[in-house]
Amino acid sequence: MKNLEFFRRVSIGRYIDRDSPVHRLSPLGKYLWLLALIVPASLVRSALMLAIIAASALALALLARIKPGYLLKGFLPVLPLLGIAMAFQLIFTASGDQSPVLVTLGPITVTLREVGSIAALALRFLAMMLSLGLFTSVITEGDTARGIEDLLAPLSYVGFPAHALALAVAVAFRFIPIVAGELESVVKAQAARGSDFGAGKGGPIRKARAYLPLIVPVTIRALERAEMLAEAMEARCYRPKGRSRYVVHASGTLDTVARLGAIAYCAVLLIAAGRVAW
Amino acid sequence: MEHSPVKKIVTAGALGAVSVIMAVTPLGFLPWFGGTSLTIMHIPVIIAAVLEGPVAGTIVGLIFGVTSMVKAAVAPIGPLDPLFTNPLVSVLPRLLIGVVSWSVYKLFRGKLSPLAAAAAGAFGGFTNTVLVLGMLGLTAASQIAGTLGMDNAAIPALLVGIALSNGLVEAAAAAVFTGAIVSAWKGIEHAAGASKLSKEEL
Repeated sequence: MKNLEFFRRVSIGRYIDRDSPVHRLSPLGKYLWLLALIVPASLVRSALMLAIIAASALALALLARIKPGYLLKGFLPVLPLLGIAMAFQLIFTASGDQSPVLVTLGPITVTLREVGSIAALALRFLAMMLSLGLFTSVITEGDTARGIEDLLAPLSYVGFPAHALALAVAVAFRFIPIVAGELESVVKAQAARGSDFGAGKGGPIRKARAYLPLIVPVTIRALERAEMLAEAMEARCYRPKGRSRYVVHASGTLDTVARLGAIAYCAVLLIAAGRVAW
Repeated sequence: MEHSPVKKIVTAGALGAVSVIMAVTPLGFLPWFGGTSLTIMHIPVIIAAVLEGPVAGTIVGLIFGVTSMVKAAVAPIGPLDPLFTNPLVSVLPRLLIGVVSWSVYKLFRGKLSPLAAAAAGAFGGFTNTVLVLGMLGLTAASQIAGTLGMDNAAIPALLVGIALSNGLVEAAAAAVFTGAIVSAWKGIEHAAGASKLSKEEL
């Protein structure tokens, strides 16, 4: 019955409480740095630029006093994949590859372009993994929602529902343990009635149908709770507009410097990437 | 049925939580023929769009997309996970599921509610498959080719093949689940019959 306890395994990034300059940044500053790292990392093709991004993320992790090993523990399972990709890249030379040949081993030639594309694949993944892992380690749940509102505040002048999005994210964070608990009790209730998830006999269609009495009640319960929460908020005269905050982040000099630094970093990387060939 | 903005937002948050739970537990994957699995993680997005409109659908789509991106980076399990750390693949396509499902649902003009919900589910599910595979083809064709040991030129055909085989089945699954959940929820709403604060004029 060990697979009934879903909640134990729920882990998509966990806040790590440390006293560091990175932790002390405002939510907006953390978001800007996240974007400054992942936007270039998803657009840039040059391996050198991707290496710089990964190195910056690593430097920030050290500054935040988060062990890089903790952020990289997901990298090991992907290594075999990278190995296979590497092997195929080397064996099958893409047609029209005009780049200089580095090594020739019998029928296999290793060209600069092949090495570059393998390095880019690995480095892009490394950069993304470090940036996103670091971000989830240094930001609390409440700040995740508040940061979204701060980040998108300029767009609210053109009618973008920045506050609504932040509230939805805050509600989602609060609902995750509730939904996980509901799921666990529904699974146990169905198991007590003799249903078998995963291990059961029968064809795939039968197995797929076994999910219906799981997903429908869990979703319905979430909708019911959402309705109760909405009514409770309305009963307390909640209005999405013109709200004040319980937690106010004072934006000091360090924070302003960090925000401007993030924008400058992103701009420099994107401009430089346009000029570097490899 | 016009809902208050608070209810739209809160429902979007709750369904966002359901999609996060589906993404991090085995609940989001239906076992299917040959050991492959069908994803049903986009179903909360479709339900939000059908029940609360395109804005709620897009918010849940954003939560779903960001969850799949963070999960691919923090706890990768599959061979394609490194490609999903790219927000162009994992986030952008998911923002459009809600809009498509809502438009399809609206085409029925409130008639045949269960059928409309099923159609919205089918189109929403197919949107997810087609756009995600399309973005994979645009951003990572050479990496997929490298991983599978195929020629670059064969990749579009491969992706179309997956879109037709997996995509149609996933669309059918989404139709069944969306239809079931929406009719169950509407049934509850009518049967309760109690006056609700959220439906009163503000």
